[in-house]
Amino acid sequence: MIEVHLYGKLRRFTDNQDPARDSILNLPVETGDTIEDIARHGSIPIEEIGSNIFLNGEYSALTRKVKDGDRLGIFPTEMQLLYKWHFAKKRE
Amino acid sequence: MSKILRVNMTDLTARFEDVPEKYRLTGGRGLTSSITCDEVPPTCHPLGPNNKITFAVGIVAGTSAPTSGRISIGGKSPLTGTIKETNSGGMAGQKLARLGLKAIIVEGQPKEKGKLWLLKVDKAGAQLQPADGFTSKGLYETYPMLFKKFSDKVAIIGIGTSGERLMSMAGICVNDPENRPSRYAGRGGMGAVMGSKGLKAIILDDAGGPGVPIANKEAFDAGRKKLVAALREHDITKPGGALNTTGTATLINVIDEAGALPTRNFSDGRFEGANKISGETLKETCEKRGGVGMVGHSCSPGCIIKCSNVYPRPDGTEHVSVQEYESIWALGANCGIDSLDATGELIRLCNDYGVDTIEAGVTIGVAMEAGLAKFGDSQKAIELMHEIGQGTPLGHILGSGAAATASTFGVVRCPTVKGQAMPAYEPRPIKGIGIIYATSTMGADHTAGYTIAPEILDIGGSVDKLVAEKSALARHFLHATAYLFDSTGHCLFISFAVLDNPSGLEGVVEECNGVLGTSWTVDDVLRMGGDIVKKERAFNKAAGFTSVDDRLPEFMKYEKLPPHNVAFDVPDTELDKTHDS
Repeated sequence: MIEVHLYGKLRRFTDNQDPARDSILNLPVETGDTIEDIARHGSIPIEEIGSNIFLNGEYSALTRKVKDGDRLGIFPTEMQLLYKWHFAKKRE
Repeated sequence: MSKILRVNMTDLTARFEDVPEKYRLTGGRGLTSSITCDEVPPTCHPLGPNNKITFAVGIVAGTSAPTSGRISIGGKSPLTGTIKETNSGGMAGQKLARLGLKAIIVEGQPKEKGKLWLLKVDKAGAQLQPADGFTSKGLYETYPMLFKKFSDKVAIIGIGTSGERLMSMAGICVNDPENRPSRYAGRGGMGAVMGSKGLKAIILDDAGGPGVPIANKEAFDAGRKKLVAALREHDITKPGGALNTTGTATLINVIDEAGALPTRNFSDGRFEGANKISGETLKETCEKRGGVGMVGHSCSPGCIIKCSNVYPRPDGTEHVSVQEYESIWALGANCGIDSLDATGELIRLCNDYGVDTIEAGVTIGVAMEAGLAKFGDSQKAIELMHEIGQGTPLGHILGSGAAATASTFGVVRCPTVKGQAMPAYEPRPIKGIGIIYATSTMGADHTAGYTIAPEILDIGGSVDKLVAEKSALARHFLHATAYLFDSTGHCLFISFAVLDNPSGLEGVVEECNGVLGTSWTVDDVLRMGGDIVKKERAFNKAAGFTSVDDRLPEFMKYEKLPPHNVAFDVPDTELDKTHDS
């Protein structure tokens, strides 16, 4: 399983939409799954996902592979605030 | 032809001078740092008669350039002992520029100890008058009294009781468009320098002022257009974008997710209460409570980003403006406090007493570590703020900042560089920020490094490679480019848009060319930025700083920070290369 923390309007894909609490989806992982695959498993439209994606706290691209036990944080397009020049994006 | 106003507090005179040729093409930080380097002895006591405090406008301040209302304030810092530039939004930058002034230099010291003065500047000239009746009170009481006396159309640059008492965490306050005492040039204790000059407030009345002449209107308009387009298109800065809706506090959840939100005095990188103090919760609270609560507030006229907010009490009346990322983090996560009502009250007290929210929050975090309060105890944190406001002996210790407090109570985990508290990004997981904190001419400062060129660092390579090997040249570039924004009067937040859009960056340079009649290129401006950083480094060197001061606190080298469980491992030799080239 992978623990997916969703923010902003993406919270609607979980059972909690109160921004003062965690909005978490627990999703199964298959070998070779990428972040994009996980988003699809959670029925999260890819076009709503912004550049702020963190896999185990690392700034990551949709193409990065995930594994069982990971923590994934996904922010929508309107929350992509970040001094991104300090974060090298991990792609694989 | 714009002028410089020189105010001598020893003989209480004010005179207007022509702008020397060497200062004609600079502004903001470029100007404050040049004047400090030219006129302030680096070894002087920051609170003595030989320090000077300079208030300077940016190159495009007072024009119709978007998001350009910043005012720069510089001198030698009592907190760090280094050169300092700190800047603020609010109403003062544009009014100072429209009065036909490039800068106000305040020097000397009144003979009468403890006596405070008001400096009134209008089209007729400048006069000093006693501040009797306007001192020893909170700024929420003082500012309305000053507006009543001078008109509600003036701008006020003032200090609170912390500045009057010469505390090293004292900032300098500028009113916002609704005349709240809520915008701060907070960092480095420049409020204490202003207090040491016996200057309680500067009142700027620009009615009938000459305005800002534009040498080449065509170039200015073309540049302005490009910048406006870049700001309106970018996801972060556009209307309805991140800054405009959930504000800078959007970063609470983002940096927490990145495992880099300093928590409980820099002992963790994630805060379990982050959601409760996030930009999302802030926005929802404003909407639910209604009344005066709002996001998308602008801190100065002509800002098209509008990242500020007004936070309401449960009954919809005003509690405070502004709850922004650094302040919420410092007084929230860093103190283990997970309530926006509590951070709102602590920020209100900072505004009222005139202290820097970052230094105050980090100081309270250190005090909590020392056992003066438990992490998460907001009531006790509020009591500690009152100690500062009342000027008790404990308040004076806390008011001297995080490093002094740590030293007084024997706290080893002291998150400062050159005596200045770190802002809201943990340097252990975000090593680039750590390099900036370590090597900035200003002490630990996040604004020194917003503007690194994305083509250098926004790359697909590995994080590790990014850190130690390729970074030195990039950091130099970064320190230099920060100059561009700090010297124009533009808010640093334009960097999000203009560094993703070369046309926006060109626009900024063309605006400057329009105002000054120059024909600079982007490269020219970057080179000039590098020259300013070199001057600032030379000042610090002459003040006694060496490469040994360009370091993070030792605990960050041996304490591994969860959740990444990393220490700061950038070698000292790499840090020393930052300013090479």
